Amino acid sequence: MTIHGLWVISKAGGLVFSRSYSDTLPPQPVNTILTLAGILHGIHAITAKLTPAQIPGVPVGGLESFEAEGWGGKVFLTPTGTKFVLLHSLPQAGLDELLRRVYEIYSDAVMKNPFHTPEMPINSSLFESKLQTLIGGVNAA
Amino acid sequence: MSQSVGYSSTPPSSSSRFSQPSVSSLSSPPTSLYSNPQHPSSSSSSSINTINNANSNPNRRESVRSSIQPSSLQQQLFGSSSNTNISGGGGGGSQYQPILDRSLNKSKGSEIALSAWAFMFAEIISYSQSRVDSVTDLEKRLSSLGYEAGQRILSLLLLRNTQTSNLKDPKREHRLIPILQFVHTQIYKYVFGKPADGLERGSDALDEYMIILNESPLTQFISVPKDMSDLSCEAFTAGMVEAVLDGLDVPARVTAHWVGDRYPEHPQRTVILIKLDQKVMDREEALGK
Repeated sequence: MTIHGLWVISKAGGLVFSRSYSDTLPPQPVNTILTLAGILHGIHAITAKLTPAQIPGVPVGGLESFEAEGWGGKVFLTPTGTKFVLLHSLPQAGLDELLRRVYEIYSDAVMKNPFHTPEMPINSSLFESKLQTLIGGVNAA
Repeated sequence: MSQSVGYSSTPPSSSSRFSQPSVSSLSSPPTSLYSNPQHPSSSSSSSINTINNANSNPNRRESVRSSIQPSSLQQQLFGSSSNTNISGGGGGGSQYQPILDRSLNKSKGSEIALSAWAFMFAEIISYSQSRVDSVTDLEKRLSSLGYEAGQRILSLLLLRNTQTSNLKDPKREHRLIPILQFVHTQIYKYVFGKPADGLERGSDALDEYMIILNESPLTQFISVPKDMSDLSCEAFTAGMVEAVLDGLDVPARVTAHWVGDRYPEHPQRTVILIKLDQKVMDREEALGK
């Protein structure tokens, strides 16, 4: 399994972080990624409303993954509304654990950084280097 | 309100519970808190206070009571002074032991989570950042905060060291090198959980020493933006070291410098540079080897 890229979408639907970790998917201009992230955010909100049989007491999640030819995406929604999207090759395994690790790195390197403004693009070298180590390790395996 | 003032005979209505004789200003902390500033003369009897207040404005008093009632964080930490004074330690609020009353020797169970520290330190930095003009000012602010912490750490550590050695052999370093080793080993171990990674003497100046830490737990989550690249949040540690040295009568100017760019394997490596006062060098020379 290869991780092609990671997006972080703020709770307002803005793309605050995006990185590509492989050359398999053709590189997109930043504006295209911004639009795609916005569309994903919208679809996620709609799917949360589409649940046919809601179980009382269980929070409604929304879109969790999508698949295309040869690649797919896994969406992880945090309790605060931030979304992490991993673009990966198929078949995939262990993405839940990986997303939890990404969330952990985000909590450490972004939320505890006094120079980060919430809902604004992430500009932390520590976040990037930790992600590089994590995802580089997965891609190399 | 006139009928409720007659507290001596009629059973009080719900709104007049403050004028009950049993709830005098001595047994009810909120009442005494309120009535004292209004009647600074402590000679006036409590019953007079009660009547006056009940007459003047019972609603105001109600609001004061409700504003005192919820246990604030400060009360949890330091205890409500009025409660502890009046009830003599017995009764309410006993599940929170005020932080100032806890045993100084008990280090077990008094640790806090690193995340809690990290969030607080991040808030301190962004608070300070909005109130300074330059990076130097920000470092100065952090350093003075660290100085406050260092003063307390030194006295606490000296006390604990004395008590663990059973008062038999209390020891306090007075020579320069043992003092620096004390900072490098004991202070760092207490604050960061491990000794510093290096203690070196400056290569060109005799009065300069460096304490090196590869990754400080205090600032490990902070990544400084490029436009402030000369800022080191380890200024807090520098202030702490300065306070400890000051407390041991080794005045020095202590600054923090990030050198991670020269050490790729330790991108957060920070040097605490100690520039000793001339007085210390003179004394060391006089004391000899």
